[in-house]
Amino acid sequence: WGRVRRMKMYLPPPGAKPARRSVLKRGLIGGALLALGGGAFLFTRGSVEVEAPADGLQSLTPREFAIVTALSYRVIPHRDGFPSVDAVQVARGCDRILTLVDDTALTETKQLLVLLENALPNFLFGRRARTFSTMSSDDQDAVLAEWRTSRITLRRTGYTALRGLVMAAYFSSPSTWPAIGYPGPLPGIYDPNAPVWKGAGVERPIGNGTFHEPAPTADGGSR
Amino acid sequence: MSGRIVTGDEITQDLTLECDVCVVGSGSGGAWTAHELVKQGKSVVMLEEGGYHTRREFDMTEPRAFQNLYQELGNRAADDLSVTILQGRSVGGGTTVNWCSTFRTPERILKIWKDRHGIDTLSTAALTPHWDAIEQRLHVAPWPQEMMNANNKVLWDGLGALGYERGLIRRNVNNCLNLGFCGLGCPVDAKQSMLVTVLPDAVEKGLTIYANTSARVLDWDGRKVTAVRAEVIDGATRKPTGVKVVVKPKVTVVSGGAINSPGLLMRSQLMSEGRVGEKTWFHPVLMMMAEFEHEVNAFQGAPQSVYSHHFIERGPGKMGYFLEVPPVQPMLASTVLTGAGAETIELMTKLKHLNVMLAIHVDGLLPDEEGATVRLRDGAHSRYSIKYAFTPAHWEAFRSSCKEMAKLQFAAGAKRVRSLHVSPVTLNSLADLDQLDDAKWEAMQVRVATAHQMGGCRMGKDASTSVVDPHLKYHSLDNLFVVDGSVLPTSLGVNPQETIFGIARWAATHIGQSV
Repeated sequence: WGRVRRMKMYLPPPGAKPARRSVLKRGLIGGALLALGGGAFLFTRGSVEVEAPADGLQSLTPREFAIVTALSYRVIPHRDGFPSVDAVQVARGCDRILTLVDDTALTETKQLLVLLENALPNFLFGRRARTFSTMSSDDQDAVLAEWRTSRITLRRTGYTALRGLVMAAYFSSPSTWPAIGYPGPLPGIYDPNAPVWKGAGVERPIGNGTFHEPAPTADGGSR
Repeated sequence: MSGRIVTGDEITQDLTLECDVCVVGSGSGGAWTAHELVKQGKSVVMLEEGGYHTRREFDMTEPRAFQNLYQELGNRAADDLSVTILQGRSVGGGTTVNWCSTFRTPERILKIWKDRHGIDTLSTAALTPHWDAIEQRLHVAPWPQEMMNANNKVLWDGLGALGYERGLIRRNVNNCLNLGFCGLGCPVDAKQSMLVTVLPDAVEKGLTIYANTSARVLDWDGRKVTAVRAEVIDGATRKPTGVKVVVKPKVTVVSGGAINSPGLLMRSQLMSEGRVGEKTWFHPVLMMMAEFEHEVNAFQGAPQSVYSHHFIERGPGKMGYFLEVPPVQPMLASTVLTGAGAETIELMTKLKHLNVMLAIHVDGLLPDEEGATVRLRDGAHSRYSIKYAFTPAHWEAFRSSCKEMAKLQFAAGAKRVRSLHVSPVTLNSLADLDQLDDAKWEAMQVRVATAHQMGGCRMGKDASTSVVDPHLKYHSLDNLFVVDGSVLPTSLGVNPQETIFGIARWAATHIGQSV
């Protein structure tokens, strides 16, 4: 723990100005990298290999995709009645969500994935000299629990970000709804052919939004 | 003379437009301002960064809605994720996705604005004619008690059992089918959002709306804004297409909402000595989740129909709060729940039996509060650096409100109540209540969210302590107004849409006179 405490000293004090204009140092994850020893020292160790989706990757590298895949198995552990993360293609879903986020958010997510995978902090915090994606499930759960409950805010932040991404990718799938008893949208309501009015002299279709002067009420208003 | 709604895919080459007024943003502030200005006969161009999404796309599914209708796909947050920020981003702004709760500005808040910020323009008397007209147009009426869903009934029953003040929320709906998908875009246009009411009314009267068009910078010279420079955003990829739109108006109205309006001003080097982006209020929301024997189905029925202001004023030095409930749909619920993965999955199996309660804290009224500070972020297009300064008063109020929510949930018959801490506190009965005292009450140890963003361009009489004057004019420029939630000098203690509607409709009179 002595070593860990020393690492904490690298966290910038509140309100400190960054030493140089570097995205890495100024960004959220830059702080985490510094706090945790940073560098790619043990990241040179391999990640698990995972087959990329048939229709390719759009925002993650194969290695990042492998890390997200490993993460998704532990964030959403298998439970009877629920579709598997493979069936829902959760990691592919994360890849697709990340095509839509701000460039800075994509960069930070990628940094977080490196940080999670990086064996050095895992070694320092938990004496595990393996990358996250190659650990046993129990060790992966222990790493995620450390992140979730860490005394270092940035680790809790990182856990929240990655967990949220994976959860959203999984529960966005209607195939999860039967397991949780969610009926989904009521049938017969949504109209995919509803008119889209754009003005330009075309008469506006009558609907709930068009206004008709209401009959006056007894108190003189519509309240 | 009819205007039109132009979407990004139709803008294939650079445009330069001249008009009386350019309104940036189509939410609660921009819509009412533009509507009143075209009624006065002004030529008005509106720029909206988000897309023009209508009920043709409102299929009541979360992924589609969050992608199309929310800032940053619903992932907007404080830098350390200590506050999740739900904020609209499409034609209609927040009104396209809000839960229809409609309250007039509390008298107490208007008095604080007058006493502390020198705002002598806005009073109940000044705003009442506007509120009356707005409520008529938007069919604002109390939601009938017999239509209350089971999630709201938990709050109603709990409040009744404990003898706390309770009320029925007035909603802006017309022919509402009580479906429960307000937050995903109303599939039947029953919600009287700006998207289906005031904006099309204004288009009929001549307003032109450019959707998928993001205002990036205001050109200004001396005391005048000379142009609004915007770029067209590809609706599918959310990236700029390279096509530019330049608007040269006589008067500019910035209505991008708290966060984005300060962002536009800061990109334009309009900083008000650093005050732009400061003192942004969030109505920080704490949640408690309860499990019931019976089905609650908190994903069905009008999402918010009951409120309580019982704890709105808690005495000197203390932060007040009000109570409501949210809809609970699966994707958002799964991201909000806490605990290890297996715990979340277990809870999700109980979705039909879950009630979630909200305590919405009234920030910005205590002397030491700074709220959130919004700053530009290097390399970002739609994302900002956002830091929220929690004070000891916040944590005292959060702990207190979570305990009160648990009491209400047990009073309404909950089997079990759970906090949304990183390490959740589970209460099996009222006797366990004090366990909440032992939980960690600090940032990123418990979920905090906001659905109401206010401030960042605060109004005030003193140009050295505010951004806009009591007529919403930017202090050092003659033809720039800010009309949206960002001008509020404090939070409100009620859901904000009608306050912003009212201020916008009021402001349009003198903005029109200035053209």
